[in-house]
Amino acid sequence: MKRLLVITLVALFSVGLFGCTAASNSPSTTDETDSSTNKNTNSESDDGEGPTLTYWYWADNSDYSDLMQNIITEFNETNDKGITVVGEEYPWDGGGFMETLFTASVGGGAPDVATFKLTSTPLFTANDLLANLDDYIENWDKKDDIDPNIYDIMKTASGTDSIYLMPWNTQVLYVYYRPSIFEEAGVEVPTTYEEFLTAIEKTTMDTDGDGQTDIYGFGMRGATGGQEPWGSFIHARGGSFDDLTSEASIRGMQDFIDIYENGYVPKTATTDGFNEIIANFKSGHTAMTIHHTGSSADMVETFGDDVSAFPFPAGEGQWTSMGDTENVIFESSEHKDAAFEWVSYLAAEKGQEDWTVATGNVPVSKTVQELDFFQENEFMKASIDGMSYAGIVPIKDTTTEWINTIWPNTIASALLGERSADEAMEILHEGLHEE
Amino acid sequence: MKKKKFNIWPYILISPALLIVAFVVFYPIIEAIFMSFQNYDLRRPDKISFIGLKNYIEMFQDEIFWTAVKNTLIWVILGVGLQFIFGFILALLLNQQFKGRGIVRAVSLIPWATPGVLIGLMWKWIYDGNYGVLNDLLMKLNIIDQPIMFLSQTSTAFSSVIVTIIWQGIPFFAIMILAGLQSISHEMYEAADIDGATKLQKLFRITIPSLKNVIFITIILRIIWVSNSVDIIYSMTGGGPSYSTQTLSVYIFNKATVLDLGYSSGMALLLMFMLATVAIPYIRKSFKEGA
Repeated sequence: MKRLLVITLVALFSVGLFGCTAASNSPSTTDETDSSTNKNTNSESDDGEGPTLTYWYWADNSDYSDLMQNIITEFNETNDKGITVVGEEYPWDGGGFMETLFTASVGGGAPDVATFKLTSTPLFTANDLLANLDDYIENWDKKDDIDPNIYDIMKTASGTDSIYLMPWNTQVLYVYYRPSIFEEAGVEVPTTYEEFLTAIEKTTMDTDGDGQTDIYGFGMRGATGGQEPWGSFIHARGGSFDDLTSEASIRGMQDFIDIYENGYVPKTATTDGFNEIIANFKSGHTAMTIHHTGSSADMVETFGDDVSAFPFPAGEGQWTSMGDTENVIFESSEHKDAAFEWVSYLAAEKGQEDWTVATGNVPVSKTVQELDFFQENEFMKASIDGMSYAGIVPIKDTTTEWINTIWPNTIASALLGERSADEAMEILHEGLHEE
Repeated sequence: MKKKKFNIWPYILISPALLIVAFVVFYPIIEAIFMSFQNYDLRRPDKISFIGLKNYIEMFQDEIFWTAVKNTLIWVILGVGLQFIFGFILALLLNQQFKGRGIVRAVSLIPWATPGVLIGLMWKWIYDGNYGVLNDLLMKLNIIDQPIMFLSQTSTAFSSVIVTIIWQGIPFFAIMILAGLQSISHEMYEAADIDGATKLQKLFRITIPSLKNVIFITIILRIIWVSNSVDIIYSMTGGGPSYSTQTLSVYIFNKATVLDLGYSSGMALLLMFMLATVAIPYIRKSFKEGA
């Protein structure tokens, strides 16, 4: 009997305590909400100030952090609608940014606007988290300053006929090479895929005659992220992501394996990621590697004139990966009109120019592309040349897992001779296209 | 004899803490159990539904799952076993009188005090096939003439990662066993000396039996921690190449990060049951000692 009494009392006490806590929280939350709503209303109407937007973004280094804060400050000072953007920086964290953003928005803590990657679109649209931008873009006076192809890619990403992402900037992959090594190996800048394969072979050299390779022709990326340069090999043989088991796709894969097995790339390629391929190129360990303009300033600082670029050459097909960064407006935002003012400022106005000139990313605004800075820069030129055949890995429910786990592990097994090219492509096709 | 008066206040006072524990421990476990019976994949939120045992059936047909189970067993047996052996040896050494013993004891704790991700990144560069200090050292000593791709080939990647976790865990065993060693009465050794016992006899008849409890607890705790450990493997290899370093906890992490929460919850529950079989003796022992 006493035990029953104890249990009942403990339960009642606990529920009571929980109830008290909840009850004591509720009014204060309401009060806070009310007061903040009142504050907003006051600031928007009585004081003549516009809304305040929360903007989440990532920056690759501290210079870019300062740059973004400066762009925000300039927008806040110059926009005629009294909009105040509050920029909150979060680390990219190898894609962890998108996970944080998703968790926050599902939990009701989404910002008004955030930087975004195409690949995450289905996840966010499936959960109705993003605002539809169709009407905003249709009525935007600078709509035609952005290539229609880019809007189409935004639509493809959402899997609908609607646009949920505001274009911002792109990064088109191209091949970095060392002119001095090319000269030493007696090769010209390749203009065809076959010439590119030959250049990889010829620039693999034993420079001191000790029987060991000192310079590898190509810096292959076998870790996550390597699917982008790999895609260029597949397409160059006439293959495609749509059918990775086709004969042409398998031939592209076989080229990739052959380059590894013949010793034209460092043996660490199975696990080499971004840091490793850049370190290998910068230390003179490789003659060529594939990346975008994000690393061009660093390359020039290291090599001066002894580094240049060419677009990935055409074979039976031609493809290069278009990296991307967009901005999105959240459905939960109470200030969507103001949010569009901000994202359009970044897409085609001063914000676009300031960001792309300083970061070396490829602008989406045609007006900005015409600036001398972009026309005269060899790396930017290689990017712009590649734009006509640039594409993205198909965005499906399976894409993230395919990129993060299936692709690197399957490629490693193929390079290490544990799987043949067609076995590996079978797994990759199934992993990407399974329903 | 007067019966002890029953006091209700301790139960009332402890109830908020119990409620919090129930909320932060039991609620997630129950939620995970429910998720494991659903195709709870946030990439396809419109298709989430109850699917019974399908996740578990799929798991048993999943080649990568079995690779991860096999790797987990090797990871725990070799990792914890060798940590214990080397930790024991280190504890015996640190228990000796020598100059600078305090400094050596403090320094030997460094691996244990270093964050797992940092250890992973540090060893990743030590093992690097192009610039790694280990290859450089082995080549200068003429032990090898070609660099070994420690983390880039399936034949060496897992053993390289295991060496790292051993390096990290040795101080834990050493410090715990050292504390145990210092609590053994010297009189027992003196008595053994008088009886003419050899060093080995003293080790096996006095030291190890006296440390029985410490060894038991530390091994069980370490088995649980090492099984759940993700940071070192993830920062060194991400589970590759070709899944050769993928343990169950890394596989769960990889699946959870791509938002396949149903499947990863199922695997997490299996891992929890596996660890429970190890943890139950520890919990029972703790309760017995507390009683």
